[in-house]
Amino acid sequence: MRKSGAVLVLTFIADLISQAAGVSSPGKPRLTSCRSPEKETFTCWWEPGYDGGLPTTYALYYRLENSETVYECPDYRTAGKNSCFFNKNDTSLWVNYNITVVATNALGKNISEPVEVDVVYIVQPNTPENVTAVVVNDDQGPFVRVSWEKPRTADTRSGWITLLYQLRIKQEKDQEWEEYDAGMQKYYNVFSLHPDKEYMVQVRCKPDHGFWSEWTQTTYVKMPDYIPRERSLWIMIAIFSVFIVLILTWTLNVKRNSVKLCLLPPVPGPKIKGFDKQLLKSGKSEEVFNSLVIQGFPPTTDYVDLMVEYLEVYDNEEQELVLDGKDLSEDCMKSKSPLDSDSGRGSCDSRTLLLEKCIERREGSRSDQHQYSQHGETSWASSECSESQGPEPGSPESTDGRAKTWPDVFSSPQLQSRHHYQNGAVKPAYHSVPEILSHLSPLATPSNYHQLPLQQEGHFSKPPCRHSQSYNQFNLDIVDAPAPGVSQSHSSEYVEVQTVDPQNMLLLRPLSDANHEPEALDYAGEDYSRVKEVISNNVLLLQRETSHQFVNDYSQDLDSQADQCTIQQSPHPCKPAVQQSNTGMPQEVMRVMGNGYVDSTVLMPTY
Amino acid sequence: MKKTTVLQVCVAFVLCSPQAVTGSPVDCPDQDTAGTSCAISLEKLLERAVQHAELIYRVSEESKLLFDEMLISFGMNLHIPEGTMCAPKTVLVPMSKSEIQQISDKWILHSVLILAQFWIDPLVDVQTSLENYENAPSALLNRSKWMSSKLMSLEKGILVLIRQVLGEGGLALEVPEETSERFVSSNMFETVRKDYSAIYCFRKDAHKMQTFLKLLKCRQIDKENCTLF
Repeated sequence: MRKSGAVLVLTFIADLISQAAGVSSPGKPRLTSCRSPEKETFTCWWEPGYDGGLPTTYALYYRLENSETVYECPDYRTAGKNSCFFNKNDTSLWVNYNITVVATNALGKNISEPVEVDVVYIVQPNTPENVTAVVVNDDQGPFVRVSWEKPRTADTRSGWITLLYQLRIKQEKDQEWEEYDAGMQKYYNVFSLHPDKEYMVQVRCKPDHGFWSEWTQTTYVKMPDYIPRERSLWIMIAIFSVFIVLILTWTLNVKRNSVKLCLLPPVPGPKIKGFDKQLLKSGKSEEVFNSLVIQGFPPTTDYVDLMVEYLEVYDNEEQELVLDGKDLSEDCMKSKSPLDSDSGRGSCDSRTLLLEKCIERREGSRSDQHQYSQHGETSWASSECSESQGPEPGSPESTDGRAKTWPDVFSSPQLQSRHHYQNGAVKPAYHSVPEILSHLSPLATPSNYHQLPLQQEGHFSKPPCRHSQSYNQFNLDIVDAPAPGVSQSHSSEYVEVQTVDPQNMLLLRPLSDANHEPEALDYAGEDYSRVKEVISNNVLLLQRETSHQFVNDYSQDLDSQADQCTIQQSPHPCKPAVQQSNTGMPQEVMRVMGNGYVDSTVLMPTY
Repeated sequence: MKKTTVLQVCVAFVLCSPQAVTGSPVDCPDQDTAGTSCAISLEKLLERAVQHAELIYRVSEESKLLFDEMLISFGMNLHIPEGTMCAPKTVLVPMSKSEIQQISDKWILHSVLILAQFWIDPLVDVQTSLENYENAPSALLNRSKWMSSKLMSLEKGILVLIRQVLGEGGLALEVPEETSERFVSSNMFETVRKDYSAIYCFRKDAHKMQTFLKLLKCRQIDKENCTLF
């Protein structure tokens, strides 16, 4: 007991003495890292602890997983001091290694912490080799091409290891490296480097599972001095375009006005005569349109005077061919005048003198309706009243015009052949002559009548309500035949067209004795006028008829008037007759009215 | 006496405690198992095994092509008739597709092991033989060397796999030792022919091994419908 106690005390004292002397058992070593460069061998390094002041030896022991057998490191030398190298035969990819390092010295030993190693995950390849950087001159500009080789130990050929490369580059003065990933390829092109500068290049690599290798040694490369071509090109383009712009601006400035005219042409104003823009702007449409109205149109006052002769062709008893005289016309006009806006259609409807005689007849063409001017006076009775009639084939300018202008433009519908409608628009409605004739046949035509052979194929219209007709010009053949009983239509300012015969001749008779029997063939006088011709300036030449007793014949039998050429035949052959008769007329007093109308009253019998 | 002993022990303990070895739990990089040392997971093992087999097969193909070129350069024309060349194995190894589909994991591993163990020695022989050629291309030599080392590594891996998948009893199946015949023929032509047939047949078996291991991996890891491609 005393011995043991003494031993204990001695041990304790020895310990204290040794500690005071500065020697002790070694400190704990530490395994710093284990690395495999190619996945076939590996090396482990350790760090020794405090050696305790005494020479210390280190030993590495390892154990394979699930096995208790402890092996010692096969090779302490290959990898340097404090390392252990495992060669191919000792390296297994299938098991984990449990590695410890033991430090031993005279006073004791110390064991490091164990480390588990899986060889596949500790792969860190060697650095790439043979890094070269060359300047390549290209059209776009020079660039640097960096190329290298794989580390010698890495077996990438068989696919045992797959390496990924990375390079970094910077100028000497720069702080930060610029890194580029090159994938698995062994070269890389670096662009956008500054000319005339020196660059440092480094490369490293890494396996798919593992650690990055160390950077290679620096490779230097110098960029040549060059001017980037694209920049100079752009500069030239910029200067050129500025120049062009200046020139264009100057040109525009000089030609300022014409450019303005070209780009912004002046807006034409409205071109209606008498149209007042200001009125339009003020918004009073009535005034505007009123201003378009020509005052004094139609010339109503004159008109009355002038509208002396016009023919109305009616149907039947309806069919009265009335040659309205002045008064009639006056009345008619007056009554009509308020109907400015009458489109001319309803002259039958209009309250005129002739209304009672107006019967809606379908004679005349529909288009006649269009002929009436706004001022219905000029409307053709025929056309007005004609409703349902086909278009007249013979009517020449049958358009929609109006019988426009006034005094000069009246044209008889019947005498259309020589018409010259001044505005060409009037289209009188005609009835076919035969119709008229047929209608008229029952009428025993009285003696006096005028014939107005129609020159052309124009048809007669027999609208009952034609109450105003104006003649422009008509070429009438003077009926050579003896005047059918020139009765004294002394007062007759009116001539009534009694018949129209197939040759488009109007047989006229004075209307003054409306009560005349149609059979009265005794016309003694020349109190009706026969229109001889109308000369160019719209002057109607009237001729007095001497006693001719041919009326009857005509009325009765139109067909048998072969001998009376003037009456029945077409105008042309009768022309000479006309002229003859013309010459036969002792006197002709013609009074020509101002606007071409002849006052038949003048031609009243002077006998 | 006892007291002093106890006292000694206590003092020793006190004195020695700063330098005591402290055990620490094992750091397992892969899995957290306390106590026993951790092992590499089955997944990783299979992955590595498949990678081995794939690479071995690829290199064996390259070797055969190189050998063909060499033969052409030698002026020899060795036509290998199909199916007759390769020696049948003593242990039955499934050959047909249908057989392989139905084989169990145990049999897959055993088949691969058999194949691997069979070929280790012949490959070494081929390698030594090739070194004796006059103008054997170095690429061919390197490859043959590579193949034999990797094959040995694979064999070790298969053993580990068997231990893991089948447990310790997995190796109960005895593989009869195959004594490879080494005949050294003085006839150049025969030697070349033998070497060529070795490489030719090894290529076929390497393909088999690759297929088996891929199938095994699919079954163990993916566990989906694994069919032979």
